[in-house]
Amino acid sequence: MLKILAGFFSGVALIAILGWNTAGGFMMTEHESPFGVEETAARIQANIQALADHGWKLSGLRSPSVSVAAAGTNVPPVLLVEACSTKYSAPLLAEDATRILSILMPCTITVYKKEDGKTYVGTMNAGLMGKMFGAKVSGIMDQVAKDQKAFLSFDPNKPAPALIKTRPGGGKGSGGQELSGC
Amino acid sequence: MTNQRTIIGALIALATGLTILGVAHAAAEPALSAASTKTINDAAPKPTSSTADHTKFEVLQAEFKSGPEVTKACLTCHTEAAKQVHLSKHWTWEYKNPDTGQVLGKKHVINNFCTAVASNEDHCSACHIGYGWADDKFDFTVQENVDCLVCHDTTGAYKKLPGLAGHPNYETMEWPPKSGRLRPPTDLKKVAQNVGQTSRKTCGACHFRGGGGDAVKHGDLDSSLETPQRYLDVHMDADGLDFACSKCHVTDAHEVPGSRYAPTTTDTNGAQMRGSKKIRNPVTCQACHGSAPHGKADAKLNDHTKKIACQTCHIPAYARGPRHAKMSWDWSTAGKLDEHGTRIKTRNSIGKVEYDSNKGHFTYDRYVIPEYQWFNGKVKYTLFGDQIDASNVVKINEFLGGPEDPDARIWPVRVFRGKQMYDKGLNTLAVLHTAGNDDTAYWKNYDWDKALAAGMKAVGAEYSGSMGFVATEMSWPITHMVAPKEDALKCEQCHAKGGRLAGIDGAYIPARDRIVAMDMAGFSLALLALISVLVHGAMRIFVSSKNKD
Repeated sequence: MLKILAGFFSGVALIAILGWNTAGGFMMTEHESPFGVEETAARIQANIQALADHGWKLSGLRSPSVSVAAAGTNVPPVLLVEACSTKYSAPLLAEDATRILSILMPCTITVYKKEDGKTYVGTMNAGLMGKMFGAKVSGIMDQVAKDQKAFLSFDPNKPAPALIKTRPGGGKGSGGQELSGC
Repeated sequence: MTNQRTIIGALIALATGLTILGVAHAAAEPALSAASTKTINDAAPKPTSSTADHTKFEVLQAEFKSGPEVTKACLTCHTEAAKQVHLSKHWTWEYKNPDTGQVLGKKHVINNFCTAVASNEDHCSACHIGYGWADDKFDFTVQENVDCLVCHDTTGAYKKLPGLAGHPNYETMEWPPKSGRLRPPTDLKKVAQNVGQTSRKTCGACHFRGGGGDAVKHGDLDSSLETPQRYLDVHMDADGLDFACSKCHVTDAHEVPGSRYAPTTTDTNGAQMRGSKKIRNPVTCQACHGSAPHGKADAKLNDHTKKIACQTCHIPAYARGPRHAKMSWDWSTAGKLDEHGTRIKTRNSIGKVEYDSNKGHFTYDRYVIPEYQWFNGKVKYTLFGDQIDASNVVKINEFLGGPEDPDARIWPVRVFRGKQMYDKGLNTLAVLHTAGNDDTAYWKNYDWDKALAAGMKAVGAEYSGSMGFVATEMSWPITHMVAPKEDALKCEQCHAKGGRLAGIDGAYIPARDRIVAMDMAGFSLALLALISVLVHGAMRIFVSSKNKD
């Protein structure tokens, strides 16, 4: 009996360790982009604007790498494209039980460069996350996940759109070289 | 259930990480405010370090009508200056490479930007330290033709515009053309009375903007270095060491050391005392830092200097500031016009020109990881007249050296890629007459044949009448934008499969390379040790149980 219990708990521990180590991969997705950092972000922005009928609006563009550089350290460029859809956020914000999910708002897509010189896009796995919070949230997050997929669909035949330097909160940026940091 | 808990655990960890990051960023804010305050305080008047106030010089009270008039006034005190300048590469735009015998310099080489100076002198000479170089008849011996102001202006108001043969504008001029913006005449008297030492801004007027614009040519030099932050260049950091270019490019008799045509890639002379008359290049890292600059804790790094240039580790990427470096130039698509027959210009996501009828297509990038190669300081150029193989990429310049060469080091290199004109009949790179108001200039008439005939004539050749486009590469050693030491490359960035030095031949790099026999021997020894331990343990258990019995 002791041997059976020891084997069972060892198995549970092993699964927990494996889950812990791979959870990050489940929660976030990473895709390689054929474009540079700025053009990728600009194309995502254009795709977000194309889904205005789903309530999507750009709510900001930030560059955490600018903050890091200001503190004196080099990191490759990182752009955070922020968007919000009132269609999806309103029902979540309306209820006490789900209002805490505002921590995930606005929806952020990160575009960054890696050591190999290539550009990558990172998103939260909205569908999987939604499943942890019951049927209502899951339904909404499934829609977000679908839209997110559309945000990352690039048509190379279309010319590069201009990067929209939106201030966090939705106002228009100053148009200067630098973006808001974190 | 287990999965959900794991996911919740991961979320908590993520939130904690983000919070820490947020706190770190918040902590950075006061530092920014402090920097701003310092700048305001610095604006207060300071005593000048110069012993001469040029506003008080009688000879500089004149209402100057041209640059040469100013130079004439300068020479009344600085009697030898023009003679010194006349011997410098900044003046001659010529350099004879003693190793290869090639005659180089801007005057002679072909590049894959605007291709060549010949036939385009009145535009290119906006970056010549002289006045009046409009064509091949320019007199390089006239002292008054030297432009003192372009290097010694401290007002920031002095600007030489393309098309004026090295002169600033003396009358009101629309600039850029058709922009509607009027540039007032240059106040020569004011500039002449405010001369001083060279600065990053004066050097950068040409060296940050070579090749026709900001961040076009070098990759490691652009206007973000006018007032750089520490992360971008630890030496030029405007709030720190604040080095001017001349701090390293220690100038003697107006000859500025440091050359792209014959760079010093290896310096084993150790640190050089400033003021020393020893004949050597003072612009190397070692000239200040010595040959073993790393402390005891990092002593192993000093061994690396035998094979690796300092720049390889200490410049992890170029174009790290806000400017995007131009990365490629495709002339083959130039000449397309809109339905009204007018010039087309399209811009990319960040507003940089992506296509221009005058020049073709461009690409840009920022935070660019350099390419790496062996380099011993010897450079071989493909000059006009050299036969090319148009079916392959033509190397405009080739960095020589290999792993067996004691003078070679692994260097970070920017490779600018282009597609440019060549003469199919002569089988040589072609010279294009780009700018000018004459009928043959390409930017005037978009006629390849006329523009190539004029360009080739300027170098003494006759255009065959048949042209094509060939892929080219031009290499630039990366040596500016030195990062703080904390941002130098980490061991694992090279010592890994697929790391930075993946393409370097002839060197054994642990973790990138392996010797199978040695690995097998190591693993076998480890396995034997493990087996021995297990056998020994088993024997002890066995003996112990026997003794109990």
